[in-house]
Amino acid sequence: MEKESHLYATCSAACPVHTDTREYVRRISTGDYEGALDVLLEVNPFSSVCGRICHHPCESQCRRQVIDAPVGLRLLKRFVVENTREYRIQRRKKVEPVLGRKIAVIGSGPSGLTAARDLAMLGYKVTVFEKDSMLGGMLAHAIPRYRLPVDALQEDIDDILALGIESRLNCEVGKDVSFKDLRKEYDAILIAVGLAESHSLPIPGIGSDGILLGIPFLWDVANGSPPTLGDRVMVIGGGNVAIDVARAAKRLGPSQVIMACLESREEMPAWKWEIEEAEEEGISIMNSWGPKAILEQNGKTTGIEFKRCTRVFDENKRFNPQYDESVTTSLDVDSVILTIGQKANLDFLKETTVGVDRGRLICDRESCTATERGVFVSGEVMTGPGSAIQAVATGHDVARAIHHYLETGETLKLPQESIETIGELPAQTAARARKFDHIDVRLTDASQRIKDFSPIEPGYTEAQALSEARRCLACGTGAVLAPSAQCAGCLTCVRICPYGVATVERTASMPAQECLTCGLCAAECPAAGVALARFATNRVKETLESILTDCSAEKIQRPLVVSYCCLYEATSRKYLREQTRSEIEETGILRVMVPCVGRLGSIDLVSPFELGADRVSIIACHETGCLYTGAEELLERRIQQARRFLDEIGVGGESLQFFRTHTSAEESWPQFWRESKEDLRATSAA
Amino acid sequence: MIVADPKPFQEVRGFLENYRKILILGCGTCVTVCLSGGEAQAELLASGLRIAFKKDGKEVTVLEDTVQRQCEQEFVTPVLERVKKEGIDAVVTLACGVGVNFLSDRIGAVPVFPGVNTTFYGGNVEAGLWSEMCAGCGECITYLTGGICPIARCSKHLLNGPCGGSEKGMCEVDPKNTECVWQLIYDRMKLLGRLDEMRNLLPMKDWRPAMDGGVRRTVREHIYRLSYKSQT
Amino acid sequence: MTSTNGLKSGSNLEKVFRAGHLAVTCECGPPKGADVEHLKKKIQMIKGYVDAANVTDNQTAVVRMSSIGASAILVQNGVEPVMQMVTRDRNRIAAQSDLFGAYALGIRNMLCLTGDHQKFGNHPFARNVFDMDSIQLLSMVRTIRDEGKVNSGEPVEGGVKMFFGAAANPFADPFEFRAIRMGKKIYAGADFIQTQCIYDMPRFKEFMKMARDMGLHEKAFIMAGLTPLKSVGMARYMNRNVSGITIPEEMIKRVAGVPKDKQADEGIKICLEQMAELKEEEGIRGFHIMAIEWEERIPEIVERAGLYPRPRVD
Repeated sequence: MEKESHLYATCSAACPVHTDTREYVRRISTGDYEGALDVLLEVNPFSSVCGRICHHPCESQCRRQVIDAPVGLRLLKRFVVENTREYRIQRRKKVEPVLGRKIAVIGSGPSGLTAARDLAMLGYKVTVFEKDSMLGGMLAHAIPRYRLPVDALQEDIDDILALGIESRLNCEVGKDVSFKDLRKEYDAILIAVGLAESHSLPIPGIGSDGILLGIPFLWDVANGSPPTLGDRVMVIGGGNVAIDVARAAKRLGPSQVIMACLESREEMPAWKWEIEEAEEEGISIMNSWGPKAILEQNGKTTGIEFKRCTRVFDENKRFNPQYDESVTTSLDVDSVILTIGQKANLDFLKETTVGVDRGRLICDRESCTATERGVFVSGEVMTGPGSAIQAVATGHDVARAIHHYLETGETLKLPQESIETIGELPAQTAARARKFDHIDVRLTDASQRIKDFSPIEPGYTEAQALSEARRCLACGTGAVLAPSAQCAGCLTCVRICPYGVATVERTASMPAQECLTCGLCAAECPAAGVALARFATNRVKETLESILTDCSAEKIQRPLVVSYCCLYEATSRKYLREQTRSEIEETGILRVMVPCVGRLGSIDLVSPFELGADRVSIIACHETGCLYTGAEELLERRIQQARRFLDEIGVGGESLQFFRTHTSAEESWPQFWRESKEDLRATSAA
Repeated sequence: MIVADPKPFQEVRGFLENYRKILILGCGTCVTVCLSGGEAQAELLASGLRIAFKKDGKEVTVLEDTVQRQCEQEFVTPVLERVKKEGIDAVVTLACGVGVNFLSDRIGAVPVFPGVNTTFYGGNVEAGLWSEMCAGCGECITYLTGGICPIARCSKHLLNGPCGGSEKGMCEVDPKNTECVWQLIYDRMKLLGRLDEMRNLLPMKDWRPAMDGGVRRTVREHIYRLSYKSQT
Repeated sequence: MTSTNGLKSGSNLEKVFRAGHLAVTCECGPPKGADVEHLKKKIQMIKGYVDAANVTDNQTAVVRMSSIGASAILVQNGVEPVMQMVTRDRNRIAAQSDLFGAYALGIRNMLCLTGDHQKFGNHPFARNVFDMDSIQLLSMVRTIRDEGKVNSGEPVEGGVKMFFGAAANPFADPFEFRAIRMGKKIYAGADFIQTQCIYDMPRFKEFMKMARDMGLHEKAFIMAGLTPLKSVGMARYMNRNVSGITIPEEMIKRVAGVPKDKQADEGIKICLEQMAELKEEEGIRGFHIMAIEWEERIPEIVERAGLYPRPRVD
């Protein structure tokens, strides 16, 4: 995949695997959902999972938010995977392990499986060892189904396994097979066991009946055998797992679920939206409280006592909670679920020489290695608690490290990533951009969603996805002066740029950081010297020519209408799809989908007549629907000018028609085409 | 810079009745800047001509090209070679009149037609508007008039204006659009504290440095006909 | 510097001025062709009522009989011409040559003008000349008369003793420059000035005050220009279309206030009132009555203004 700009868009830069966001969004806009899936899967084998649960740093860094709101990238991703299932199955391919070397991956979470997939694609023979009956690690067991349905995860896993990876389920290393045996049999070993165990707390009463640990709790819930909870449930912890635990607990029917954590509301590590959704579901949160003791009666948990937490982090931002023992509170509860942190189970390394220090695996993050040659590490066991997509990223890293090791026998120090992003969208540019509402989906009503573990979030409909995709600013793919351009520094671009972006210093320059990719400068450049990296309209004539050359002129149903349509008006891919030659011949309508017809230059309006068109019809967006400031006025003036020219050359200005979409593209466009055809027949009859 | 306007299409079309392979030649400097003869305009004219010829049932090849400046030997030479090599039998240039002459002087038996009307030396007053500001008279007198040229900008080229046709700052010849330059000069001299100079009689101008003195040429001795260049 | 009797030219107009009389001139537009009889009729109408008559030079850039030819006919028919010459149509070579020819034909007054732009005439597509402006023309012809040298510095064969005039428009902009510009003309060589027709009296008086402050009224003979209104339609037309002319609304109302067939008389009445008022204005040395295509009313105006008969000065 070719990057359109050497500068990363901030969304791609923020993504741990640097998904080429603007490209998959562009492909959605042009109706190429399959192409969009290709872009996603190239870097992220867990695209289905991420479409559901990714914490979407891409959105947090989306430059559109200075204008109105970020683009709904996660839901766009979900839209892609949900609308390309057949294609996804078709594109699966087994890769023969031609390299002959064998790799064992311990753990089948996102990091282990990503590494397995990369290595399999390189031609290694990969075996994944999973102690459970299902692949996926935390994704399979610790994320409640209302957030991540099993099917979504399974799609991703099936893709990976289709490469020819062997999986050994219900096979726990250290029990069912020894680590030492693996060392003998495999050329490299990857430890990607994650942090699958919860920490407990050394406080009085912790042994009472009614105390549970977060991860095992989620595990049991996911596997359909939830533990019995009392009527009043207390969840200790303020992270995302704690939220999952609380929300899962809520769905098991207790009358009360309360969360308590050391952190203040602002300090809580859980995502803001997760906290809000939990509250909607009736979960209350007690901030700045630390558990002091579990109250018990006859070995049964009856309540919990808290002390005031006055500080969570010290001056060095290290976790170092301080308490005011004099301020306490206690509550009557029947169950307490501890979700205060996770650790790895490294028992299988006990009798090996792989270094473990106080329960932690000794590893070098730069090379993804453990203390023993040929043993590698990735995922949360290396990084500590993190997101799924971050785990995927370390999976890619470790695969590179292993490949390098197997090829050269040397350890690869992964280079420090240095990413040059396009930078923030300057406020003065943003102020000139048009606002467009973000398409939001409505979650299932809170009262309804706490009843069971059904997914709570609907995906985008096709119309919604297309509408949201148009909001992408296509950062960094805007106007550039073509190397061959004879820029005379005429300032036309400067004068018409609606956003005050273009400048001329000897020659024109449209700084990528500011350009909003409207393409108006390209349409007006008298030297025809401005190119657009994305959605280029520079070669419209050539494209038309090649299409029409392929068609047989006699077969084309006359009159031939070349119709430029604003692709952003499509609510389905009916018209976004490329036309077949015979379709053009039979209908006499040649559609050219343009991202904003305002970027069509005068030559684009006139040249179709040269290529044999009888009519050129321009279909713009609906009234006030244009994404781009100023495009409507410039287009209108350009059409007037082109009509005068067409009058002059004897074609007649009326042959150039202008329409505005109303209702939907699918409804109004065919009507316009009919009008174009009939109107022309009337003219030629007269 | 030099400002030009596109010629009416049919006028250009009229030049080309008897040719079979025509080159439309844009110019990348002044006419690009004033949006009348750059690459985009060349493409448009070429496209228009192809449509018009086709409509008339004529088989004519219309090619397009643009050079940086048609008033330079080095830039024009490749075009001349192309014309010869490809058997082009007529050229329409969108450069100013200089380009038409420059090509005609060098192109041999192939006719060169003007695609634009060269209008004036002017400045871009605002987006889409150019205004005449210099007449190329060969002896600049603007040091006497606050830097504003009455020869180029007064409808009657008065040197001791304003005449009686100056009303509310506008010129009677085009009261809607044209400012009375003598009003501008008056205001500017006032601003510069030089209003007294407006009492001076400006003598009749010596028009020899202007085109009235015959065809003008300029030689820069320091690089003109270098001997080592002529040897090779 | 001067010819015998201390006169620059010895023209009748100059003599009337120098004798201290209020001078009277009018306009006599040549025909749009060679219709001498028509011209002669006009001459007969004004003969004896004016000291000299301006012969326009393709006024408003409409082609007419040359001012030099028409002026010669006036000479032959006993009315002294003020030959107008514009720089629009002739360069310095033609202008000097025409000056010599005019003098040879007995013409003794010349009014130096830049001329209306050809846009306003019947040949808007013609090229203009504007080798010089009116001020430079004045300077050139004055040098011929006073120093005996043509523009190139070569000597003139035989003297050219002419009385030179210029126009002044107190009603154009910038107003504060108008008297200065008249001064420039006077310094360049204008012996007398004819102003644009006056309707806005307060503005004209202000102009005259500025002229007097510069002493211009003592350096040249300033004639007040007047055009009687023929009708309210004409008043409105001039107000709208002739740049530099603003007719006060009260004046238009006054003309409009009388029946159509009496409007011309009202216009003449206003003109006479203006003349009476201007006679009192210091520095006004005569009247230039521009009764456009209305020469038949000149005698009446001159008589009713108390300016008839015209003095004979020898």
